Amino acid sequence: MSRMRRLLASQETGLVIVVGLVTLALALLAGSHPDRQTGALVNNFWNSHTLIQTATDASFFAIMAIGATVVIISGGIDLSVGSIYALAGVSMALLLRAAGPLPPFQTILFGLVVCLGVGLLAGLFNGVLITGLKVHPFIITLGTMWMLRGVAFVASKAESILVPEHLTRVAKASLGLPEGLYPVPMLAMLAIAAVGTVYLKKTVMGRHVFAFGGNLEASRYAGLPLRRIQIGVFAVSGLLAGLAAFLGASFYGSASSGDAQGYELYVIASAVVGGASLLGGKGSAMGALLGALLIVLIRQSIRTLHFDQNNEWIVIGCAIIGAVVVDQWSTRLAARRLSGRAGPAGNLQNP
Amino acid sequence: MRAFANTLAMATMLSVVGCGKTPDAKPATQAEAGKKFTIAMIAKSSTNPVFLASRTGAEAAAKQLSDSLHIAVEVVWLTPPQEDGQIQAQRIQQAVNDGANAILISCSDAGKVTGAINDAVDRGVPVMTFDSDAPQSKRFAFYGVDDAKTGAQVMSELAKLLNGKGKVAILAGNQNAPNLQHRVQGAKDEAAKYPGISIAGVFNHIETPQDAAAEVIRAGNAYPDISGWAMIGGWALFTRALLTDLDPARIKVASVDALPAQLEYVDKGVVPVLLAQSVYQWGFIGVHTIVEKVVLKKDVPTMIPMELVRVTRDNLGAWARQLRDWGFTDVAPEYLNR
Repeated sequence: MSRMRRLLASQETGLVIVVGLVTLALALLAGSHPDRQTGALVNNFWNSHTLIQTATDASFFAIMAIGATVVIISGGIDLSVGSIYALAGVSMALLLRAAGPLPPFQTILFGLVVCLGVGLLAGLFNGVLITGLKVHPFIITLGTMWMLRGVAFVASKAESILVPEHLTRVAKASLGLPEGLYPVPMLAMLAIAAVGTVYLKKTVMGRHVFAFGGNLEASRYAGLPLRRIQIGVFAVSGLLAGLAAFLGASFYGSASSGDAQGYELYVIASAVVGGASLLGGKGSAMGALLGALLIVLIRQSIRTLHFDQNNEWIVIGCAIIGAVVVDQWSTRLAARRLSGRAGPAGNLQNP
Repeated sequence: MRAFANTLAMATMLSVVGCGKTPDAKPATQAEAGKKFTIAMIAKSSTNPVFLASRTGAEAAAKQLSDSLHIAVEVVWLTPPQEDGQIQAQRIQQAVNDGANAILISCSDAGKVTGAINDAVDRGVPVMTFDSDAPQSKRFAFYGVDDAKTGAQVMSELAKLLNGKGKVAILAGNQNAPNLQHRVQGAKDEAAKYPGISIAGVFNHIETPQDAAAEVIRAGNAYPDISGWAMIGGWALFTRALLTDLDPARIKVASVDALPAQLEYVDKGVVPVLLAQSVYQWGFIGVHTIVEKVVLKKDVPTMIPMELVRVTRDNLGAWARQLRDWGFTDVAPEYLNR
């Protein structure tokens, strides 16, 4: 298959088309309102503020979803990402408060190191428990989901802790855009998606993850360092949850043990909608980003089109099932076409 | 009766804003007459019945003001399905982007929404808080109870029921909610005034009726010597579960809130005193205050206090009718005719 045909047949292209269609529909149906300053009519969806806000809303999920996708490709699952997010944010806020006023650069560096460090340690903890105790990741991360949030709760005494202004200034930097536009989380999301794509597609470690999730027995016979791979994927997931926590706590200006409660399901949904297979061996960083964007767009559409807010969960649930079913149909269709092209032998291989 | 309730609410509102004018005063400019004025309402959670009542109040106020001021006042409900300060911050941004003229919010996490409130105000959208405040933000007013005072009042009622002695427990809901933390502190401070009263513990739980009721039963089993419950929110009494599990001869209860499901507890003497928040007025007075401030360009106080209403068997019928008039459809008919 030519490169162009491969690109057109890829799941990411399908998701880009779906995201594009939803965006177009929203822009056409959203209606408009007069601008406060100029009085000119502004489309309720197709305006720079709403578009960047939608991308910002998606960015925290998307960054965690890229980590979750790496775990899912390896055949695992990480239910603890929301709790890692809360613990990393709370740890940063508490340590910065204990450290007292610091110059801007030190504040940002210290905050970032704490969040990434806590995320990495929590991820390593998950990985070591899974490989050491030989217990399914679902069980271990279900346990650590409660443990880590509990640690955050005890440490913070249930307080919502404000983070220093310097952090918020960075997370809400306009980078030359007009007032009220904050592109930093969106840019971080794009950067992480690019790094994630390179990691999964172009590095030996990335190929090992696919091999591990795609065929564990073959990986074992091939002599891959299975334990290290499994610990590594959870470390990546924890690290990215820590990064999301840094951005989230900085952007919103505080951290509490209740942060990101229930987000693990949005994160896993983003990865799955983005094409990751819960059986392992399949998924991509760009798919996770697009999955998160699609879920946030669906949520946004309920509000932009003034549907009853109470239907949000129903719509999101239907959309997730719909997206996965459509993906499976298209995969089967593609497989059937390929087997058709391959003739009788192909049919035997794909009954 | 609804008109009576609205008139009462209006009288309260007019007395707190101190303007002394009726709401059919003219909009600030003629150009504003006939225009649409949109208020985004962001409560803590759309699964909590108290916020549904506040929405009813907001919509009633919007209708009343639309008729009297000849501008189309519209309330857009942007409340998340469950409590989440981050989602609330996102919805504030969205309301501003969608062209809302003002925002009325009950903050799940003041720290999380303060930045978004300040951004909204900087972009020309005034914000008012109700029920749970963000005091460090640029919001122009807050309407709600004094939480520390509420906690103290619950404990004081319980102390009276216990004749000033006994081991008590505090049912405290979500441990992250700052308004509930203040109520707990108020209850503890009040308990300290009674030498005969000791606190067995503060019991947090997920804010659903089932979880709250289960927590009361669990705590009762773990501390058999508990003789009183100070419930700083009414969650556990939104089910019928505790009607049989709380023995009024052995355990006394005082609770905040007085929603339809709680009335049976008062009637049967299981919970002799409820301290009701006028939840309908969160929305009703909130919308009126916003219109006073933004459309009619009047001064309004920064803090608008809400007083708790003491509900006992004596005024159960009147309170039941009040709830019905505020839009609650599940008020038991036997209480309406008392």
